[in-house]
Amino acid sequence: MEFLSLLDITFFLLAGFGALIGIIFGAIPGMTATMAVAVCLPLTYALGLHHGLALLLGLYVGGISGGMVPAVLLNIPGTPSSITTTFDGYPMARKGEGEKALRVSVIASVVGGLISAAVLFLFAPMLADFSIKFSYVEKFLIILLALSVIASLSSSMLVGIFSGVIGIWLSLIGDYSISDGGNGKTRLMFDFMEPYLFEGFSLLPVLIGIFGISTILLEAEKGVKSDLSNERIKFGKGGGFSLSIFKGRLTNLVRSSFIGTFVGMLPGVGGSAASVLAYTQEKNLSRDSSEMGKGAPQGLVASESANNALTGGALIPLLSLGIPGDSTTAVLIGAFTLQGIQVGPLFIPENSETWYIMMTALVFANIVMFFLMFYAIKHIAKVVMVPKHILYPIIVMMCVVGAYAINYGIMFDVWTLLIFGILGYLIQKIGLEVAPLIIGFILGSQAEVYFVKSLESFGTLSIFFTKSPIAIVLWLLILASVVFSIVMGLKSRARHSQEFTTDRSASRLDKKELS
Amino acid sequence: MKFPKTIVGLGSAAMMMSVAFGAGVAQAADGPLRGNVRVVIGSTSTGGDTYQNSSIVVDQLAEHLDLNMKVDAVGASAAFRALDRDSRGNTLMIFHDQSYLGYLYGVQGYDNIFEKYTVGPTVAINPGNAYLVPKDSPYETLDDIIAAAGDGETVRVAIQPGGVSEIGFSALKNAISIEHPGMEDNLVAVNTGSQSDKNQQLFDGQADVINGTVQANEQYTRLSEDDQKAMRFVWLTARQGTIQQAPENGLGQTSREQLLEFVEPNVTVTMGGDETFTFDKEFFFLYNKDMDPAIVEQIDEALTEIYAEGEIQEIQKNSFFIPNFKPSEQASEYLYDKMSRYEGIIENIK
Amino acid sequence: MESGLSSLLSVSIDFETSHLFFPTIIHWIMAGLFVLILVTKVVPFLAEVKRGERTLPIVGEPMDAFRFFGTLVLIVAYFYLMAVVGNLFPYTGYGFLFVSMAFVLLMSLMYMHEWTKKAVTIVVINAVVAPGLAWFILAKLFNITLP
Repeated sequence: MEFLSLLDITFFLLAGFGALIGIIFGAIPGMTATMAVAVCLPLTYALGLHHGLALLLGLYVGGISGGMVPAVLLNIPGTPSSITTTFDGYPMARKGEGEKALRVSVIASVVGGLISAAVLFLFAPMLADFSIKFSYVEKFLIILLALSVIASLSSSMLVGIFSGVIGIWLSLIGDYSISDGGNGKTRLMFDFMEPYLFEGFSLLPVLIGIFGISTILLEAEKGVKSDLSNERIKFGKGGGFSLSIFKGRLTNLVRSSFIGTFVGMLPGVGGSAASVLAYTQEKNLSRDSSEMGKGAPQGLVASESANNALTGGALIPLLSLGIPGDSTTAVLIGAFTLQGIQVGPLFIPENSETWYIMMTALVFANIVMFFLMFYAIKHIAKVVMVPKHILYPIIVMMCVVGAYAINYGIMFDVWTLLIFGILGYLIQKIGLEVAPLIIGFILGSQAEVYFVKSLESFGTLSIFFTKSPIAIVLWLLILASVVFSIVMGLKSRARHSQEFTTDRSASRLDKKELS
Repeated sequence: MKFPKTIVGLGSAAMMMSVAFGAGVAQAADGPLRGNVRVVIGSTSTGGDTYQNSSIVVDQLAEHLDLNMKVDAVGASAAFRALDRDSRGNTLMIFHDQSYLGYLYGVQGYDNIFEKYTVGPTVAINPGNAYLVPKDSPYETLDDIIAAAGDGETVRVAIQPGGVSEIGFSALKNAISIEHPGMEDNLVAVNTGSQSDKNQQLFDGQADVINGTVQANEQYTRLSEDDQKAMRFVWLTARQGTIQQAPENGLGQTSREQLLEFVEPNVTVTMGGDETFTFDKEFFFLYNKDMDPAIVEQIDEALTEIYAEGEIQEIQKNSFFIPNFKPSEQASEYLYDKMSRYEGIIENIK
Repeated sequence: MESGLSSLLSVSIDFETSHLFFPTIIHWIMAGLFVLILVTKVVPFLAEVKRGERTLPIVGEPMDAFRFFGTLVLIVAYFYLMAVVGNLFPYTGYGFLFVSMAFVLLMSLMYMHEWTKKAVTIVVINAVVAPGLAWFILAKLFNITLP
């Protein structure tokens, strides 16, 4: 335990401070964990490796967690991976249960974070060997599995799938990127768009445009009246929260944490796919998922535990293969190279001190994150009390900052906000569905690369079935997911028509009474 | 008049406020380069070699010139566009050989940098461009690979198409066509993406050789042979003279001596006649064509002084970069020559 | 039979046109779904509109046109002017700072229903402080490039 001597007060202060700054970054719509790590990277040179890592890991954990705040309170995912948090968090906030939703999310987050840290600590090298069994073929099937949630997420399956396909289509605009092994040629656009759209629309501006700006447009249309629901918000005494919410949700919590860790571990898949996949599985496997998407805590548990579990997961390939699991860990690599340390398959055995230091920082940051958030929630939740004429301009402004800064200063990303704000408005007006569309957009370009590259390598569609036992398992999961959503669709249709008939008979009764 | 009245009004109000804000803009006391300077790079990664190398150089420049300078990882297409728009010198670019190789390979979005921009000084070399095989591969040396392809065996090489990662592959293909005419099509490119994708192709058995780097793959070469992930260097594309300047300890546990085994004269790739192929990945500045030549000169001078001090070389070597400063004019000529050599190879194997 | 199936499944992709392979598949799926939706949803819906049972979205709905189009105009002006003003002071973030102040002020005033002295004062203070704070923390402290 020589490394203990390296742990000093500064170390813990930095990890805690990192978590705090990370939460703030994550909580501002448009600012992400990746950005927090990127802007603080130059600081680490002065801090030295171990102190620097404490700060950066704090930022990472805090940033991923902070994303839940705007997702729940404002329906704007603070980071792309908190997208599924909006599905249930915002409906809860609308019902006046914002504080409760946040508490559930914080607990799910810390459990997810700690489970993944434990997995990282115990099994990193072994899991790295497992993760390289996933080639393009298996990765495509994982994306397909995550996409299958689209069918069960929407109220009308046909419209939902159509919206999802539109999302995929939108994600394909731009070049078939060389950095993915493509031929670098653009498609789905006219020549004059090329200077702006060469690399397509970037994810974060699309997300905050379609959620943030379109919400504001919808409100503006209604005249931005002060909302009565503000008065219904349950404050004090935990806002109706008690630990009993987690009763019967333990399986969900643990399953989602493992899914998050696992997806984080696959290089290139990472990020938002983790929470989407966990959400899909909860929807498919839980006994009663009919409330999901309308404000069910179980959706929050799945989404938040998975996206925090991503942190430990994404560090697995980083530390045992030298390959980042997601965009934040890609920046984290910079901290090592700045100090002249190579990460690779021999990193853990050769730098065991640094390895223990990192684990300590990770666990500590999770704990700090939990206490900071859990006790600050009371105050954070009051954001919704701010009058809309003050809140909305600030949201637009912060969305602009986030969009502009995400790719280090590109003005077109700001215009993307408006384009997708208007698109989001129109979509909701003509009855298409936003959630499937955005999931399609997030996963679409990965689906393309994995699909096309699999076929380029093997030249036959049958490879998707014969590649490996893993592929067969994934197909079974996809099949289960599809069958499940069809059954659920039929059930809800049956229930609808039943309600419809009882409605009618009720109204007939009314008429009788009147006459 | 260029701007509507309101904007001018707003602008002058802003100007007054900026005066009120005081030290908002750091002004260099002398020299044509002033205000805040943004250096865009051709990579979107802040963990990669372009960013790392650029921030070393830009930090030193900012200190030397007493200016606010900032590196932004916007990526190639956005960086070229930002450079196109700004001739004032507030936007500069740092990139590497990809900038002209992309053009030679006909990648969409790349133009001839020697026509469209002013090529500025070179600052450093990343000597790490490498080719690797699995540790248990039947190919012991690069010559084995050339011979095998010449014998009619298919050899698959995982690369990222259209640039730095492909140029070594092209040279190899060219060498096969010279030594074993007509057999060059036995060397097949497996077009893939990031380093992890290339490694994965090797683990999956979908490639026999991969392009990689000393930095990213060194640890893989030290795994034991029974490990599925173990690899072996067969070729570093750098010049012998470049590797000779590397720190004696090399990188990780691989010493400079060991690295020298994979460059000339131990490994040679012919370009026909007496000429052999080498490739150093060099980082250099690109400027807007209409930028004030005085700024070009100012940066050249500043860099000359910085390199004369000698501190920057230490920092670069620490990060496994080889210092390589050439002032603009010399750099431009040198790089143009370099491009012409590679153009021949790419034409040859078309 | 076996070989027939495998030839049916075999696909060869030309690298030069591989950027169109997946989009083509998506186009076909999208077209198919569109026709299905047209038949099962849109046609019945339009029939209902014709019978007067439902109204068309957007055009047939009541809206606060002033605030809706005001928002759109403000946002467009905001984005446009930010770049223009920012270009006058390269990479200082002043474009963002000053134009944001004007934007936040105007949007707040537009959304406010009751103009009281107190409310307007709060709005004005907010319009100065919020962008100022954002600019100072992000552009100055964290050195993030802003327009």
